[in-house]
Amino acid sequence: MIKQNDAAKRNVSKKVQIVPAAKVTIHKIPTGVRGFDDILGGGIPEFSFNVIAGTPGCGKTTLAHQIVFANATAKKPALYFTILGEPPIKMLRYQQQYSFFDESKVGKAIRFINLSAVVLEKDLDAVFLEISKQVAAIGPSLVVVDSFRTVVRKATSGASDLEMQSFIQRVAQFLSGWEATTFLVGEYVQEEIRDNPLFTIADGLFWLSQLVERNSVVRKLQIVKSRGHDSVPGLHTIRISADGLQAFSRTLGFANKKKANPTRGRRLSVGVPELDEMMGGGIVEGDSLLVAGPSGTGKSALATQFIAEGLRHGEPGIIAIFEERPPGYTDRADSFGLKFETAQKKGKLEILYLRPLDLSVDEMMQEILDAIERVGAKRLVIDSLVGFEMALAPGFRADFRESLYRMIGALTGAGVTILSTVEVEDTFTALSFSHYTISFLTDDIIRMRYVEIDGQLRKVIVVIKMRGGNHSKDIREYVITDKGVVVIHPRQTEYARLSTGLPDRISQREEVAPEPKATK
Amino acid sequence: MIPASPQTQDLAKRLIAYEMSGDKSFETKAPAAFYVCETLRPHLATLMGDTGFHALLSRALVLAYAHVSWLQTVQVKADGSLGVSDKVAEHVAPEKMAAGSVILVSQLLSLLVAFIGANITLGIVREVWPKLSLNDLDFSKGEKNDKAK
Repeated sequence: MIKQNDAAKRNVSKKVQIVPAAKVTIHKIPTGVRGFDDILGGGIPEFSFNVIAGTPGCGKTTLAHQIVFANATAKKPALYFTILGEPPIKMLRYQQQYSFFDESKVGKAIRFINLSAVVLEKDLDAVFLEISKQVAAIGPSLVVVDSFRTVVRKATSGASDLEMQSFIQRVAQFLSGWEATTFLVGEYVQEEIRDNPLFTIADGLFWLSQLVERNSVVRKLQIVKSRGHDSVPGLHTIRISADGLQAFSRTLGFANKKKANPTRGRRLSVGVPELDEMMGGGIVEGDSLLVAGPSGTGKSALATQFIAEGLRHGEPGIIAIFEERPPGYTDRADSFGLKFETAQKKGKLEILYLRPLDLSVDEMMQEILDAIERVGAKRLVIDSLVGFEMALAPGFRADFRESLYRMIGALTGAGVTILSTVEVEDTFTALSFSHYTISFLTDDIIRMRYVEIDGQLRKVIVVIKMRGGNHSKDIREYVITDKGVVVIHPRQTEYARLSTGLPDRISQREEVAPEPKATK
Repeated sequence: MIPASPQTQDLAKRLIAYEMSGDKSFETKAPAAFYVCETLRPHLATLMGDTGFHALLSRALVLAYAHVSWLQTVQVKADGSLGVSDKVAEHVAPEKMAAGSVILVSQLLSLLVAFIGANITLGIVREVWPKLSLNDLDFSKGEKNDKAK
């Protein structure tokens, strides 16, 4: 009895000492596709069984090649099986046009094997046998079957659903057992997801699609399934260029980045002292400021001063322009006595001229983000939002505001202070800010407009909104001189209803026009 | 037809010489090109399938006809191997047979270069004949990807 109790005690003490088993670490392999690893949450899980699906022409084979070329080595080779679709010789011909294609890897690191004859002449068992024979002989770390759809199509003509499922399961188990990360490439349509056993068995399902809208083609990528790890949900734009596929995450790569912590409340000068005063001390660092006004009111001039002021304080900047060309911008800066070329040469300033009419909003934003990273920008000008939208292919315009919102949110969160301009028409009956729903896009709004005073078309400026605190409610007159935008005195005018553009004189005081009036 | 470049012809000669080294040349009357093509066949069939290899070799043969009349008696069999009547060896002088072999192999290699480029073609050749030294072979000059036109 005593012995039994002792044994029981020992068991209890053993149980207490049990340390919970550590969770298995799933290593992730890089895809070699810019932006795709961000979407996947770091890469593709090692030894996973994945499907790359989509309609013809959306980049499935190129994606598979890119992954293979990024990872295969002579010690960890890749096996690329082709079946009935594009034979390896054609793949080699076309894929070598991409910059990722490394000829030295063909043969030793990446072996291409055509299984067409086995599929055509034999059954599923023979296909499995051939795949397993090659895998056992080479011991690959990556296996691609392109296109797996043709295996299934051939097989289903003589095999039952159960046999098919059994075949897929055998292939999956065998390849995972041999420590291979597998990609089955196939032409599928969305309706097949529900019933196809392949999608049930797969660990990862990457869906590529190609949408045509008006004259532009939009390629999209969706991670429909990613077993065991988080990925960024939704449709992400992809582009195929000479470098292969590039993916543009909906989070613009900010999903895994830590937010910077700008000195909360620090005010930055916009380069116009009186305007800083009107804003309650300047723009709050990390804010997004919208400058709205009609053509010729000096929005770009103000943006130029905003960047120049940053450069004076050692804050690098980016100017993204869509209408005016870069020389126009630097010439204006020169005319204000601001030397942009020096800053450009020192790598403290980049002027991006973006007007490629078929780019997606995410690609445009990626260009801006890359430039921000290159120069370590603290200030960004987008001149203008209307030009930005117009520069996009029609199919992407629907996503513009949502993407802009994401980018502005992410950048301001990272401590970048943004000044965007937007052109609005002066109606002379009302003071509109923008045709955009702007409240969610901006922290602060400045409105510039024309007013007719005493036979002159003058300009006034007003701070509409400052999320960071109080601000002046005055409507102030300004001029554009060889110093840029200059807010003039007096602080008060003897006019009312300035916001309409057609003000009423409320005082008899004789006012001196800020700029000389025409004489007879 | 654009004749094969000197580099491709040089490679063809080396492959033939390598294949015919040893006792092989004394054992059979088959043209030397047959051995090179037969050694290449399984490797290329892996890349392009039996049908693809059959088509490629048939095209090379047709291109070689223009220079070598006796090659018109050669056929590509269904499995992709080459066949020829034994009488050819009796009626064709050995030097003409050797020259024809070089042209046929050159055309096959030129077609490969046209499809997949010189580097990958050389990579395949190195894989098939790992002991063959090709380091002094300069494919960067002269070989254009327009032989198939």
